[in-house]
This record gives sequence, structure tokens and C-alpha cells, in this order.
Amino acid sequence: MNNFGYFMKEARTIIKINFMSNILSIVSIGLILFFAAATLSSWWISNQVVEIIEDEAEINVYFAEDIDKKKVEHIINNIETLAGVEEVRLVDENEAYHRMEEILGKEAKVLQYLDDNPFSPYIEVQIDLKSMESVIEGLKNIEGIDQIRDNKEIFDKVRNLSSVLKTLGYIFIVAVGASTLIIISHIIRTGIYENREQINTLILLGAPDGFISFPFIIEGMILTLGGGLLASIILSLTLRYAYSVMTGPLPFIPLPDQKSMVTNLVSMIMLLSAVLGLLGSLFGLRSAKSR
Amino acid sequence: MYLIEAEGVCLNYPDGTMALRNVDLHIEPGEMIYITGPSGSGKTSLLKLFIGIEFPTDGKLTVLGQPIIRGQASKIRQMRRSIGPVFQDFRLVNGRTAIENVMLGARFLDMSNKKLKENAVIALKKVGLEKKMFSMVEHLSWGQCQRVAIARAIVRKPRLIIADEPTGNLDKDNAINIMELFASLKEENTTVVITTHATHLINNLREGRLIHIESGIIHQERLD
Repeated sequence: MNNFGYFMKEARTIIKINFMSNILSIVSIGLILFFAAATLSSWWISNQVVEIIEDEAEINVYFAEDIDKKKVEHIINNIETLAGVEEVRLVDENEAYHRMEEILGKEAKVLQYLDDNPFSPYIEVQIDLKSMESVIEGLKNIEGIDQIRDNKEIFDKVRNLSSVLKTLGYIFIVAVGASTLIIISHIIRTGIYENREQINTLILLGAPDGFISFPFIIEGMILTLGGGLLASIILSLTLRYAYSVMTGPLPFIPLPDQKSMVTNLVSMIMLLSAVLGLLGSLFGLRSAKSR
Repeated sequence: MYLIEAEGVCLNYPDGTMALRNVDLHIEPGEMIYITGPSGSGKTSLLKLFIGIEFPTDGKLTVLGQPIIRGQASKIRQMRRSIGPVFQDFRLVNGRTAIENVMLGARFLDMSNKKLKENAVIALKKVGLEKKMFSMVEHLSWGQCQRVAIARAIVRKPRLIIADEPTGNLDKDNAINIMELFASLKEENTTVVITTHATHLINNLREGRLIHIESGIIHQERLD
């Protein structure tokens, strides 16, 4: 720690020697990290949607509106006997209307333009997600059921999308890791080349490798942390914009809490930046030494 | 025990040049050694061997107890921490002040920042450059740069100072001062090995040992 001030000063001098290259490296690393974080946040959102759909796995059963109350109760009793069914309840047209109001939130005012309540009563069937197909088959055999609406198709699509985004996220992380390591190790090697006279002098004075290398490790960390900071700023602004866009016209999408998502992503980006900075610098130093 | 021990040391460069032939030399702690000889005689080559920049192609060389042989880079680097080298081309770091360059000589040694700064100021005073301590080295004259390099060598209080033409760019007064400074280090039991063309300065000192090299062969005589 005795030389920490000296190391910081040396790192600043090394950065100043190739100032434009270093600034461009920070921007490149920032953009690379931003794309990776954007992909991960998309996966995160879709994963959250999948979890919510999984938790709320249900089938809505519609029946002819002209049948009497007794017949509806008969249908409910029949549904309750099916394996995989957890809860069955009747949602009348008023409850259906209020539910839609809750879902639409600020946009619920569009319902005021309707003269009559357009919603029909239905039976809400809470199920175990694994039994969805057998429950649907069972429902088809119950007399009096007009229409069965399940969210399996949407669920499958979101799950597929989530899995694609997850794979993409991993690919991006590997690509980000590799490209950041290449950029940093190249910058460090260039820095070593630019400072070769000074390094040779230090070697002749007997300076240990750690003393010579430390300013370059700090340089690598400054570059990646700078890139990470840039990526965090762009990501925060992008997410704020995306949330404002998505919560308006797409009120049905259950988004994760924006604040906790940004906090988690920024922490992840900064940690990744620090690790990549350290590894990139060490690779750069190692390859320069072997040359 | 000798500080430097050379027995039958030869140094041949890859281009075939025989820089040193059969050098036998024993230097004790606190000795003052002046190496003279015409250009290309092998003076700088001998100093390069002492610092571990070159390795003997034949014979045995030990400096500060460390054999100068290939494959011992880290041990040789450790040995250099006990040597104060003054290079012919100074090897100062541009973009830094005189005091920063002097401090660089001992930054990685076991010394607190405060002590290091104090020692650097004392070293710069000894070479008469205290007024230039905050000047960038690229703004200093050659003679001043040479004195910064000398201050960097003495700041670490080394056991051995190896200086290649340390008065080469100095005027007569400054050259005498520097030679007297080196001679005064004997009191601290520091060994000083200097190459020089300035035989008139050596004659005034009347102390130490003179080693004359010609075509890689050494001849020794005592001055006192």
C-alpha cells in the first residue's frame, strides 16, 4: 500500500500516453457489455413472465350463457373430479369486468366507452401445470362446455423465447469475455511497448515483476470499469425507456421490479468488468513477457 | 569476503568481438575502483557483467555473492537492488520530475514514503540539484540529468555503486564534486566502481585502485 499513490499516478500516465486508444477501448467495452446486459435483461424479463405464468397456470372454461345455475354447478362439480385440478370457481360477468379494469390499470378508461358489460361469466380452473393436457382432455368430455381457453400456447412461446434468450445471453457473455480480454490484453501490450524504456530501467534497477506490472493491472481495471460504468448508464436509461413504453400499450406483461433489476444488472456488469480487467491485464502482461 | 570476484572471465559477443579476456579481479567492500581505457577497450562490457546485463562466456564471476550466470534472472534482479547503477545514457524516465526519478531508485525497497522523500532530497542536495528537484527531467541539461542519475544511484544506500562515465557530461567543478562525493561513500563502506576517461580527476584523489583496460585485458595499480 506504500506505493499505491505511485501506482495510480503511473497508471494515469500510461493511459495519457495512448489517450484516444484508451477512450475508444472504454467505449467499445461499454457497448459490448451493454449488449450482453441487454440480452440478459431480456432473458430475465421473459423468465419472470414464465414464472408468473407457471404460478398462475389456469384454464378458463366458457359455457352457453342461456343455461341455468344448476347446470353450471353440475359442470363445476364434474371439473372438480378431474385429476390435476386444484381449484374451481365461477367468475361472473361483473368480476370479469373488474379484473379487466385491474389489468388495464391507467388504460381502464377505454372500458367506459362501452355501453354494456361485454364480458361473459366463466369457470376459472386452477391446475397443476404438468397436468394441463390431461385436464384439457377431461374438460372436452364434460357436457355443457362451450369453449376451453388455456394459456398453454402463450406459455410455450414465452418459454421458448426465454430459452433462446438464455442461450443468447450465455453466448453473449462468452463473446463479451473473449472480446474484452482481447481488447484489454492488446491495450496492455501496447502500453508495455510504449513504456519499454522505463520498464527496462526498472528491471536494471532490480524492481520486482509485481512492482512493474501493477500500474498496467490498474490501467486494465480502469478501462473495463470505465466501460462497465458506461454500459450501466446506457442500460439504466434504456430500461427506463423500455419500461415506460411496455407498461403503456402492453399492460398484460408482468415486468420485474425496475429498481431491483437495474441494481442487480449494474452489480453484475461492474463485477464482470473488474474480473475481465484483471484477467485481460494479466494475459497482456504474460504475453508481453513471453515475447 | 570479496564483493566482486572474477576468475578468468572472458566475454565474447555473438559477432565475434572479444570484449574481455581472462579477467582476474577481486574487489573488497569499501574499495574505490577507477576503470580507464580507450573507447571500445571493454570498460562498459565489464560493468555490464557486474550488473548482470551480460554473462561471461568463460570463467567465473560472482557479484555480491550472486554467480553471474544465465537462468538466474530473478536472483540477479534481487542482487541489483543492492547496487546503485549510473548508466552512460542515464536511463531517466521522461515526464517525471528529478525527485520522482530519484525516488524511483528505491521505491520498491523496504522504505517508507516519508523516508524515501527525505533521502531523495538529501541525494539531490549532495549532487547540487536541490533547486531543480521539481523540474521535469526533459527540461534539464545533460550534466544535470547525469547528476539526477547519480542521485538515483545513491538514494538507495547501495553496497556497490557502478557508474559508467559519471562525469562525462559535467564541467570541471561539478566533476570534482561528484568524484569527491563517490570517494566520501567509502565512509559508509560502499564500494564504488567507476569507468572514466578523466584521468586528471583520478590523480587528484590519490586513493583507491586504478584498472586500465586495453583490448579486453586489464592492468591494475594502487593509487595510495
